[in-house]
Amino acid sequence: MTIIELALYFGLLSCIAFGGLPSVLPEMQRYVVNVKGWTSADDFIRLFAIAQAAPGPNILFASLVGWKVAGPVGAVVALASISGPAAVIAWNVSALWEKYREAPWRVALQRAMAPLVVGLILSGGYVLATPSTVPDWRLWLIASATAAAMLATKVNPLWFLAAGGAAGVLLLS
Amino acid sequence: MVCTSVNSTSATVTTPRNLAELFVGFLSIGARSFGGVLPWAHRVMVEERQWLTPEDFTETIGLCQFLPGPNLGNASIVLGKRWFGIRGSIVAALGLYALPLMWVITFAMLYSKYASESIVRGLVTGVGAAGAGLFIATAIKLARPLAGKPAALMLITGSFLAVGVGRISLLFAMPVALLAAYVVARRGLL
Repeated sequence: MTIIELALYFGLLSCIAFGGLPSVLPEMQRYVVNVKGWTSADDFIRLFAIAQAAPGPNILFASLVGWKVAGPVGAVVALASISGPAAVIAWNVSALWEKYREAPWRVALQRAMAPLVVGLILSGGYVLATPSTVPDWRLWLIASATAAAMLATKVNPLWFLAAGGAAGVLLLS
Repeated sequence: MVCTSVNSTSATVTTPRNLAELFVGFLSIGARSFGGVLPWAHRVMVEERQWLTPEDFTETIGLCQFLPGPNLGNASIVLGKRWFGIRGSIVAALGLYALPLMWVITFAMLYSKYASESIVRGLVTGVGAAGAGLFIATAIKLARPLAGKPAALMLITGSFLAVGVGRISLLFAMPVALLAAYVVARRGLL
């Protein structure tokens, strides 16, 4: 039953995931940790870390939630349900793109989405760095140092993840 | 089965000849894209295999950013459809996700094996916090062109307070916020 619930919910999120995984991450955390209790908040950030460190689209994080809930089958079902409905939309809408690219409503919709996506990605970062109700300064330190480094340099982000891991060993273990 | 793309500069472009080539191309994007998938998609499809012109690539990504769902997942659907119809979409998406799925599961199994070690837990949590930092940096980058627009700053703050801090469900917040933002955008304020 749990896996069906997960599939339906991820399928719903897929349809509103403007901006990709980062936009729906706060909602995933709310549902998976707070509402359903499928993982702890601490495990959520660790699953996210594993998905970030692996290659491929970051939507693969969804498959780790599925894996946690229902093993290998859960992983495949979660990935299919978070990417499937969006894929169906993309398949049907792409043909209309040329026709409506310059249409006022479409341009307005894109402008409307931009600030919301920013707010939601910011929420994703905040939620990840604040797993419990009491903020942990060590997580915030690592997150803000990484953000500053990313904005100041053009290095492959993988190095920042490695540095974050090293800082985690020193500060958190 | 080759459908040449309708493209003004198609002289320099060779679309994938068959489904196998399409699959291998997307497989090589998924397999190599440590640290972000978009630069690798560009390298494989524009530079190495020359399936697309740079302009066409940018245009396709623009469309996929406008649609809900993962950018490159949507690009695999759109490009697969353009070249081979529904079979192309399925093959491209499978190619993109196959290896990364095995990678994350392998990583997760490794992690759960050593999760009782506090050093491993600290390491992985640190990586997660750094990942949160990357999100924050991305948000700041995307916000820069909006900085001069008070309405945009209000929408950013509002959605952050509602969803990030207030933990209101996105299923409720997204339609409301999108409607409000759309009205604001139609008035030329965004």
